[in-house]
Amino acid sequence: MTLAPERLSDQRVADVVSALRSVLRDDQILTSKPDRYNRARVPAPFPVHRWAERVPDLAVLPETTEDVAAVVRIANELRVPVVPRDGGTGLTDGAVPLRGGIVVDVKRMNKIHELDLVNRTVTVGTGISMLKLNEQLARHGLFYPDDPASYPCSLVGGRIGTSGWSLIGSRYGHTRDLVLSFDHVLPTGDIMHVGDGIGRKITKSSSGYQLKHLFMGHQGTLGIATVATLKLFPKPEAELSPFWSFDNYDDAYACVGALARAGVATFAGAVLFDEYKVAYLRRDDEAYIPQPGDVRALVCAAMYGYEDEVRPAGKRLFRIAKEHRARYLGDEISEGDWAARHDRYATPLHGRTKAGQVVPMSWHCEDAAINYANLPAVSREWHAIVAELRRKTDVFDDWGMFAYTNSVTGADYLTEIDVGIWEQHLDDAAWELWVKAKRDLAAVSLSYGGSISACHGSCREGEVDLVPQELGRGFQVMLDVKRTLDPNNIMNPGKYLLDGAYAESGDDR
Amino acid sequence: MKDVDGPEHSPSYPYRYAEQYSPPEPERVSDVAITTFEHVYEVDPRLMQRWVLQQTFPNWDSLRIMASRQDHLDWMHRHFATTVINGSALLAEVNAEDEANPPSTAAPQQEAPQ
Repeated sequence: MTLAPERLSDQRVADVVSALRSVLRDDQILTSKPDRYNRARVPAPFPVHRWAERVPDLAVLPETTEDVAAVVRIANELRVPVVPRDGGTGLTDGAVPLRGGIVVDVKRMNKIHELDLVNRTVTVGTGISMLKLNEQLARHGLFYPDDPASYPCSLVGGRIGTSGWSLIGSRYGHTRDLVLSFDHVLPTGDIMHVGDGIGRKITKSSSGYQLKHLFMGHQGTLGIATVATLKLFPKPEAELSPFWSFDNYDDAYACVGALARAGVATFAGAVLFDEYKVAYLRRDDEAYIPQPGDVRALVCAAMYGYEDEVRPAGKRLFRIAKEHRARYLGDEISEGDWAARHDRYATPLHGRTKAGQVVPMSWHCEDAAINYANLPAVSREWHAIVAELRRKTDVFDDWGMFAYTNSVTGADYLTEIDVGIWEQHLDDAAWELWVKAKRDLAAVSLSYGGSISACHGSCREGEVDLVPQELGRGFQVMLDVKRTLDPNNIMNPGKYLLDGAYAESGDDR
Repeated sequence: MKDVDGPEHSPSYPYRYAEQYSPPEPERVSDVAITTFEHVYEVDPRLMQRWVLQQTFPNWDSLRIMASRQDHLDWMHRHFATTVINGSALLAEVNAEDEANPPSTAAPQQEAPQ
């Protein structure tokens, strides 16, 4: 159940603004309705009639780590919630203010502070996007390979706060592997540098606790990353992204497993599209509308590297696909569909009623980390859950599933089910159905030994209820860490059931 | 039908309203889609009559959207790598090698439960 937001009174907002003026310029403090509503927007669907619950009381635009620290210090003193916001592209509502307060919008902290060509690192403000960063790096033949589906619009700081997943992570690693270190403002306003050891550019240290991972993926509940040092690679000389079709799911499933297990060094990832996904594409995607009826499942693979590496490796993968009765879909679809995968947030979406009429729908994606051996069973159970939703109402439409390799060995997959949601018709009853479905999807993942999320995080209504079950004793450690670092529960309150850290001590904020 | 823009405004290519709103005769490509220009697909208009009404686009805009999509994809390729390797060429090499030296006909090893 959603907690009702505890809004600041007008007088308290005025007091906060007055205090902020001692550390920020007027143009860095935003209080107008458009400024605040624009910073409540996130992609995950939510009932339209309840959007006002998620609007901050004000927003600030810091330009330095010291600005951020000063804002957080004031918020901590005044006991005002603080919510970090980067690209606002996350799918688990990390950037959504559940209790009003101050949104810290980091987009002005978007400078490249240092490019170290010798050690192959770059140090940036966390408000920069990977696309803009790579435009600069390309001049030096370099590349920062953090590649989410929101590549053009998500920011480095959000990737740290969510511990993001990268499409080409099987080759280069995910955000946690690519970020070497960062400056971080704690909920008390103290500034800390966190990485492997104390070094800014060290890739592996065994000194002390490994704190870097603790301050990644916390969804803004443990502070705000401000300046990050990133690992760089040569810009790939060559890309290969073959797409293959299959006349049945089982062959496609066997093929994707074989491709991932092949151990090809330039292998950046493989994706399995199930029958439901192909049916959805056949309805609405110009590449798949004309495909023959026996195209029922798809697999793609991506490789990056030098041309003389990728060519022979590509032939190896083509041979594996051929052994699994794959049909190559051609260069145009292969190249075009892969290129479009870097930018899924630009896709206009619509779904269908059960009668077949087109309706405007928002996209939502539920994800999990599932071992390869369990993909078919989890897929069946997830589709049954969404089918049950659809039987009850036209608000939901099953847009099929993808499974992306989570790492180079193919042990587990980022497993996603895309669900179209007719937000204008998402009333309280439909929302309750959706929250229950999300809880059920998460329960299936856990029953197969998976994790509730490989990519998005798990702090939205529904799946968050099962986080204590997934983490066990570890969830109590989470509560202890939260209470220790954020004694006044000001940092993104209401997320991840962390309010429980304060209820236990009788200090329920 | 009256021209909305005369030759004096666009001497090289007069804009003729009737032309722009007369796309090629649609052909059915599936139960739910039709096609007009090459690579331009539309939802069957019968499915867009209640909740979302189909809009009429001038021909130049439909073609512009198609072309700009390709431009965007080309840009994305250049952004991520210097060259794109042609998969069909690799497949042709694999097929030629297999023809010269046929592989075993054994089925692929099943390595995981279904």
